[in-house]
Amino acid sequence: MCEGDCKGAAKGRPNMKPVYPKAGSYPDFAKLVDRENAQVDRRVFTDEQVYQAELRQIFARSWLFLAHESQIPNPGDFVRTSMGEDDVIVVRQRDGSVNAFLNSCPHRGNRVCMVDAGKKARGFICNYHGWSFGIDGALRGTDGKVYEKDETFEKAQIGLTPVAQVDSYKGLIFGTFDPDAVSLLEFFGDFTYYLDIMLDNDEGGTEFIGGAIKSEIDCNWKFPAENFVGDILHAFWTHQSGAQAILGGGVDLGKRYDELAFQASIYGHGIETNLDKVGNTRTLGYPDLVDYAFELSEKAKDRLGELRARAIGAVSSCTVFPNFSFLPGQNTFRVWHPRGPGKIELVVWTLVNKNAPDHIKEQYRKGVMMTFSPGGVFEMDDGENWEYSTRVNQGFVTRQQPLHYALGIESADMERDLPGHIHKGSLNDANQRLFYTRWAEFMEHDNWTDLQNGATAAPKKTATAAE
Amino acid sequence: MLDILDISKPFADMDRPVDIETERAIMRWLHAEVRYLDAERYQEWLNDFIDPEIHYWMPDMETRRRDDPRGMFAYGESAYFDDTWSELNIRVKRYNEPSAWADNPQTRHLHQISNIEINATDDPTLFAVHSAFTNVRNRNEADQDIIHGRREDVLRAVDGGYRLLRRRVFIVQNVLLSKNLNTFF
Repeated sequence: MCEGDCKGAAKGRPNMKPVYPKAGSYPDFAKLVDRENAQVDRRVFTDEQVYQAELRQIFARSWLFLAHESQIPNPGDFVRTSMGEDDVIVVRQRDGSVNAFLNSCPHRGNRVCMVDAGKKARGFICNYHGWSFGIDGALRGTDGKVYEKDETFEKAQIGLTPVAQVDSYKGLIFGTFDPDAVSLLEFFGDFTYYLDIMLDNDEGGTEFIGGAIKSEIDCNWKFPAENFVGDILHAFWTHQSGAQAILGGGVDLGKRYDELAFQASIYGHGIETNLDKVGNTRTLGYPDLVDYAFELSEKAKDRLGELRARAIGAVSSCTVFPNFSFLPGQNTFRVWHPRGPGKIELVVWTLVNKNAPDHIKEQYRKGVMMTFSPGGVFEMDDGENWEYSTRVNQGFVTRQQPLHYALGIESADMERDLPGHIHKGSLNDANQRLFYTRWAEFMEHDNWTDLQNGATAAPKKTATAAE
Repeated sequence: MLDILDISKPFADMDRPVDIETERAIMRWLHAEVRYLDAERYQEWLNDFIDPEIHYWMPDMETRRRDDPRGMFAYGESAYFDDTWSELNIRVKRYNEPSAWADNPQTRHLHQISNIEINATDDPTLFAVHSAFTNVRNRNEADQDIIHGRREDVLRAVDGGYRLLRRRVFIVQNVLLSKNLNTFF
């Protein structure tokens, strides 16, 4: 009830202002990541209290991927998604901007939107009591105008809870529940240098094609996130069968691996790449796509410089902290939504350049389906690994045992003129160590000043693109 | 092209039932096919049951309002399968590798089919076949996935037998409640 801090409200009228939770500090959980010994305590994958702390510290504060601009081109177009476990509606406004709201009626909490997506909606109506909201989230009316006849009712101050900040970067829309969070660009840091490999390699921008494929995997969300942040190592063993089926041979990191391959990390976001031009694109199985990737690589030198032009179709993978990942060259973009410590909902999309020819877009759609969808010859073999990496820790003794994240502990590359923490070779645990270091920073710190100035921040060097 | 071969078009009313002999022959074909799939005899399935001109499609189901003209699925949107013969062959090649870990140890399969209706079409060599299925996969000690759905098949009469020319697979799930699809339907 309103007890004085809500000016002008009638006595007893409830204060319906949005509540954005404050972060805390969990130094004991932060210690579960042992940077000295390159070890991660298995409790981070199974402990319910750790998981609840993740929802508070990480998912209620980080900028999280919401949608691609191309999914909601017109006012009233919307998609439903999640931020952590929170159900969210992302909707294009009449002025062209994008807002996002909790999908929960402020009356009894029911969802006001039951569908995956829609076009040109005028608003959202709760099925329970008919409370109706505009695409701006404001309460417009109620069924039978019962409330309107109650003179103490003031609908102007009631609405869907807005996501505190929404912003976009080159077509990708992100949101955060933290009004005090740094800007999206500051959250990325110089990692945009690497995001541009996929988001800005051609004029005209990008789009998502087809819809989303959603599936459930009984694993902790961090296993797939760390896999994409810097684990090309698994491809040789896990995906031997898929590579054999499509390529007739094993995964190939290119002839110039020792010279070119590296990992880069800033604020826990990470990319590993072999700069072999087309290794990822080749696995989609269509020769036309390989030709397209080669041509694009040549053309993109002007926009991105030689090094990043080589990365567009290369054997590579990327995670934007905490749970948004993609594969350059294979063009699959995905979010690993947490659903408890031992479960995720995986949502995958296909990204293409808007001005790519139609038959190229179609081959990307089909190629992603053949490789990185639930029936795909690569993704097929990932899930069980992540499930058992998670599930075995139900064993009390098992979960006391250390895990080894020490590949490449002496591989830091201090010379290469690239943004972020650079390590030599893509076969490396470096990005995964920095991903968990970032995780620990979020557990430890209750403020953005500390969050943005810790060990995961880009080391000080004059390292904008040499090109 | 006959409507029945247009992958984006659902079967019309199933009001042209075939004669009893044809029905028996196609029922035998359907039951043999799922027995091959249960036994993971994928290469033989591809060679003996699938027409070289196969179009094998399984769209992803979306949840949409009834008044949304896009409906629950559409051809050209996201799908689990949208395959030609050579694309099915890539999937089969993976199964044939000893390092296909999601199938090693072996998965225990059951494909159960029912609700079978077999209709004649405007082309005397083509048959429209509707069926419902329950697909059970169980592996390791207690990992179990169950998928229910319907199939709309077009079979072609070839050399005294039949080949699958077109298949549309509609499952009832939106979020796939499984980590993968290491089977065919």
